[in-house]
Amino acid sequence: MAVSWVGQSVPRVDGPAKVRGIAAYVDDIVVPGALFGATVRSDVARGRLRAIVRDPAFDWTGITVVTHEDIPGENIVALIEDDQPVLAAHEIRHCYEPVVLLACADPVRLQRAVKAIRLDVEPLPALLSIEASLAREQIIHKDDNVQKRYLLEHELGGRSIDDLIAACDVVLEGTYRVHHQEQLYIEPQGMIAWVDEGGVHVLGSLQCPFYVHKALKRAFAETGERVHVTQAVTGGGFGGKEEYPSVIATHAALLARKSGLPVRMIYSRKEDIEATTKRHPARVELKTGCTRDGTLVALKARAVMDGGAYVTLTPVVLSRGILHASGAYAWKHARIEGIAVATNTPPNGAFRGFGAPQTIWAIEKHMDRLAKRLRRDPLEWKRERALRIGSTTVTGQTLTESVGVDECISKAMAASDYTNKRAAYASAPRAAAARTRRGIGAAVFMHGAGFTGSGERRLKGRVKVDLEAGGRLRVRSGSTDIGQGTETIFRQIAADAASLPLDSIVFENPCTTNVPDSGPTVASRTVMVVGSIVGKAAAEVAARVREAMGHAGGATFAEAADALLAKGPVGALVQYEPPVSREWDDEAYRGDAYPCFAWGCDIAEVEVDLDTLETRVLGFWAAQDIGRAIHPVMCAGQVEGGTLQAIGWALYESVVWKDGKILNARMTNYVIPTSKDAPPFETILVEHPFSGGPNGAKGVGELPMDGGAPAIAAAIEQALGGVELADLPLFPEALLAAVLGKAAREATP
Amino acid sequence: MIRLRVNGRACGVETPPLARLLDALRGPLGLTGTKEGCGEGECGACTVLLDGVPVNSCLVAVGQCEGRDIVTVEGLATGDALAPLQTCFIEHGGAQCGICTPGMLVAADALLRANPSPTETDVRDAIAGNLCRCTGYQRIVDAVLRSAEALRAAGPGAPPGRGTP
Amino acid sequence: MTTMHLPGEDREAVAMEAHAPAGLERAKLVSPRSVEEACELLAEAHARGQAAVALAGGTDWIVDRHLADVSRARPVDLVVDLTAIDALRTIYAYEDGDKKERRLVVGAGVTYWTLRNDPEVLGTIPLLSRMAKDVGAVQIQTRGTLGGNLASASPAADGVPVLFALEAVLSIASASGTRKVPVESFFVGYRKTVLAPGELILAIDVRVPRAGAFASWQKVGTRLAQAISKVALAGVVETDGAMVSRAHFGMASVGPTTAPLTAVCSAVVGKELARIDRSATDAAVAADIKPIDDVRSTGDYRLHVAKALVWRALHAPP
Repeated sequence: MAVSWVGQSVPRVDGPAKVRGIAAYVDDIVVPGALFGATVRSDVARGRLRAIVRDPAFDWTGITVVTHEDIPGENIVALIEDDQPVLAAHEIRHCYEPVVLLACADPVRLQRAVKAIRLDVEPLPALLSIEASLAREQIIHKDDNVQKRYLLEHELGGRSIDDLIAACDVVLEGTYRVHHQEQLYIEPQGMIAWVDEGGVHVLGSLQCPFYVHKALKRAFAETGERVHVTQAVTGGGFGGKEEYPSVIATHAALLARKSGLPVRMIYSRKEDIEATTKRHPARVELKTGCTRDGTLVALKARAVMDGGAYVTLTPVVLSRGILHASGAYAWKHARIEGIAVATNTPPNGAFRGFGAPQTIWAIEKHMDRLAKRLRRDPLEWKRERALRIGSTTVTGQTLTESVGVDECISKAMAASDYTNKRAAYASAPRAAAARTRRGIGAAVFMHGAGFTGSGERRLKGRVKVDLEAGGRLRVRSGSTDIGQGTETIFRQIAADAASLPLDSIVFENPCTTNVPDSGPTVASRTVMVVGSIVGKAAAEVAARVREAMGHAGGATFAEAADALLAKGPVGALVQYEPPVSREWDDEAYRGDAYPCFAWGCDIAEVEVDLDTLETRVLGFWAAQDIGRAIHPVMCAGQVEGGTLQAIGWALYESVVWKDGKILNARMTNYVIPTSKDAPPFETILVEHPFSGGPNGAKGVGELPMDGGAPAIAAAIEQALGGVELADLPLFPEALLAAVLGKAAREATP
Repeated sequence: MIRLRVNGRACGVETPPLARLLDALRGPLGLTGTKEGCGEGECGACTVLLDGVPVNSCLVAVGQCEGRDIVTVEGLATGDALAPLQTCFIEHGGAQCGICTPGMLVAADALLRANPSPTETDVRDAIAGNLCRCTGYQRIVDAVLRSAEALRAAGPGAPPGRGTP
Repeated sequence: MTTMHLPGEDREAVAMEAHAPAGLERAKLVSPRSVEEACELLAEAHARGQAAVALAGGTDWIVDRHLADVSRARPVDLVVDLTAIDALRTIYAYEDGDKKERRLVVGAGVTYWTLRNDPEVLGTIPLLSRMAKDVGAVQIQTRGTLGGNLASASPAADGVPVLFALEAVLSIASASGTRKVPVESFFVGYRKTVLAPGELILAIDVRVPRAGAFASWQKVGTRLAQAISKVALAGVVETDGAMVSRAHFGMASVGPTTAPLTAVCSAVVGKELARIDRSATDAAVAADIKPIDDVRSTGDYRLHVAKALVWRALHAPP
């Protein structure tokens, strides 16, 4: 009767509640007597905060007011660097910076109260771009505006990278830019907070309960047992609810503390788009040398990212960015530099891909240009140059297993009929009457699964499995289900590891009081890292019961379990131990950067309207090696959802700025694809198992974000012929400029 | 007091007539299945049926609903039995984070009642006003098409129609 | 599922209240069943110095009020709900003896959903149905009305360009009677119409294009649904043999009001269709519109696309 749950697309556990409309998201939860909370924010990008002025004509009865002076602990949002205040005290560093918090029982009166507060800010010149920050037009962070630097060097052997490049047959340079992207989860950020004898309680939309826990401890000067953070059903996160919830939770809790009442703080869509984190924009300069036969010799890269006003997670985003800057390819020599600079814009933060989509855009576009100069089909040539088992990466990591890129390429090519279409579209006659043209293009990419280097060892993520009456197992983990199916998948893994029916496994809703810290729900680590210890812990508990069954002769699992429980609690607490490998040197950025990599090949087929330069994506084939698909339907769902976000970043989405303010902070004008814009997807799951992942699984969440944009760009370039697209987004306005620019160059004698 | 029918039951709500239908449903009527994603009629998370046709309830004043028929996501299942559409969503990965799901189901339900044999294009058009950020729409479209097949196979005994728009 | 206890759990469950947006807390809403009643209500309110608003589908107004800056939210005393007035939803065709042409009358309260699906509209002026399919998405189509879009006077409205192309005449009612206004005279500036307080749009009377006419609708938006247009063009071009005998256009999102493209009409009417030069129509478009940069697009892009759409409206029925 050994049914294996892993590999089956079982009905998702939270499915019925979600389709019935009874899943409880934070805004669905009624707390009697709760006040509404709101935030007064700066409308100036940089300045000295001289005073907070309350309109004396306004009736302030029943309105709770909180400023930085009401913070019992430290006025710091605990994360990496202690530079971001919970509430601005003396200076403003970005538009929408929070300064004052208000609470009131009447939501309309609350809106009026927000308007009745004036922030007296003496404006200062603001830095609003990477260029302005690098040029140090103003100093807004430390003494040089630099939030973080990295340098990694591979096999230079004392020579300069410029010399190594200059010695090559084919030398190519390019600068590639990418823009902000807003996560736009359909459920806005929200928290409910209350303070009582038990301490500080928050409940809300979040990915990482223990990040919020850490932040609240700091701001409230409380010990861990007196802070309780619970996840409500969360309507999408994509990284946008990784670190930001610490801010909104602290704000709601401060109001709760001051008012003595529970407070609900749910952002409007406008406030959410304006004030919360976004993807880091980046400018990547590449210079490469290769041989005439296409061997990749030397890579020089410089990635500059815009971190916004405070550091938040920028060092980690930059790290992942530079570790993916060389793409899925083997290079003999490399020098990769990363710099993150501060600007007076809202701090940027985690968004699916986390630095990799930015640098992968650059390397893929660069490789496409190189392919043209080498007169090779880009995909065929990339296939030759891709890493394989036995290859060494630019951090000196030798890949010993689980490299499925070649299979991804061949399957994507076959499914899409790439070779024939590529040839057909290349030779399609350019009849003047034809007002549309088609193209097909590809991207090849990899994504390191889990935290970089020693990250997992430092995290010490843990999971507990408890035995319960009737032989049920309760899985306690800090990992959250934010739509990607954690709850279902952990039950599958646990059931298989324990050889029990799926129904025997229960998933404890994450509350910091009731679950151990398994590390954050980020970095595509939930299945690979936390899932593996869920399996171990479940197996351990089941083994103890089976041992007792052995002694009791004839007892069922349930009976043996109850007998054991009569003597005391039974459970297993397991800590993650990363696979033994070469060490990771955090200073030199050398060693095994990730336990393993997931791989992908994306192929996009587009039709471009030659008059309007609108791009329609006709088809998309995503072949992705994720090790093992624990739940194939959910896994494919991750691929398709992530890919559409990448397509959105390329073709539809942009944040429009003016003087540090966002002009399109509404869903009407921050445009994401609808069902009519989305292509039909064909997802091909490729499995090259990783020995260190549960049942061979690697990470899948972020990989799909890496390939969509460059694949679309390659297809558009074929359709238009003769343009090279270096920057995102690929809006019609930009394509028109590219086409007219090309026409102008061709017209000039 | 504004009197309306919600999911087949007569209800009365005491609310200012210019409150939004969405707020009347989520607040006094306690039906929190219908969600607010944007407040501007873009995302469709607040979709309900008003006299049989899909509307964004964030754009409707509750006072305009006197005597009208509203169907929300809570009205799709029959007691414990999920509607075929709901079951197909679970089976085919149509719901991930679930926040768009109620609105999506209501829009799809309206489509299937009006058009029992939709093409993929018909489905994409019917849900174009329901934004999803998680799924990429493919599995939602598949779920709706599968459920249309299931309903056709079930024959005339399938859930009664509410009349064409 | 969760072992957390919410504060106040022991107290009796109290449902959350529904609040009206700022300025509408005390607004009364009345749903008259006749146009006369609606006009009377508006006139009385005006006479009493009360702020009154006529509300149809609410796709613009309800959003604007919900999102309005509270310090600029003007109080409204009376909302006259038009959605219960059957007379605003009639659709019928007739022969105009004087002009010797067939015409279609569409009630101002007819929704885009009806325009999209109604057999009479589909059979008589499919151009209206094609445009309706591009308005927002289903949920917007079921509420949005031609009357509402005319009154809101956004230059980005999809329906209005089609009314220009169909030579629409609006009937407007008030407590003192009715009057007719050609659609090209209805708009007087950015979001400004000739509607006086107490006036309601009753119906839109449009010309049915002759058999063989090029009736076109083209919308270039930020995406394929739920999109505000960057440029949209409706055109009706009729030929008499080789000559263009009649041409009417309406273009959205290229100026403060919907653009009638009169220079383009002059450039093509009376000319042989096959010999109209692209450079002539391009120049005419550039004379007719001066589009601007905004959050969605640029003036340069809009002008470029406008020229292409006009050319297409003359040469291929899209």
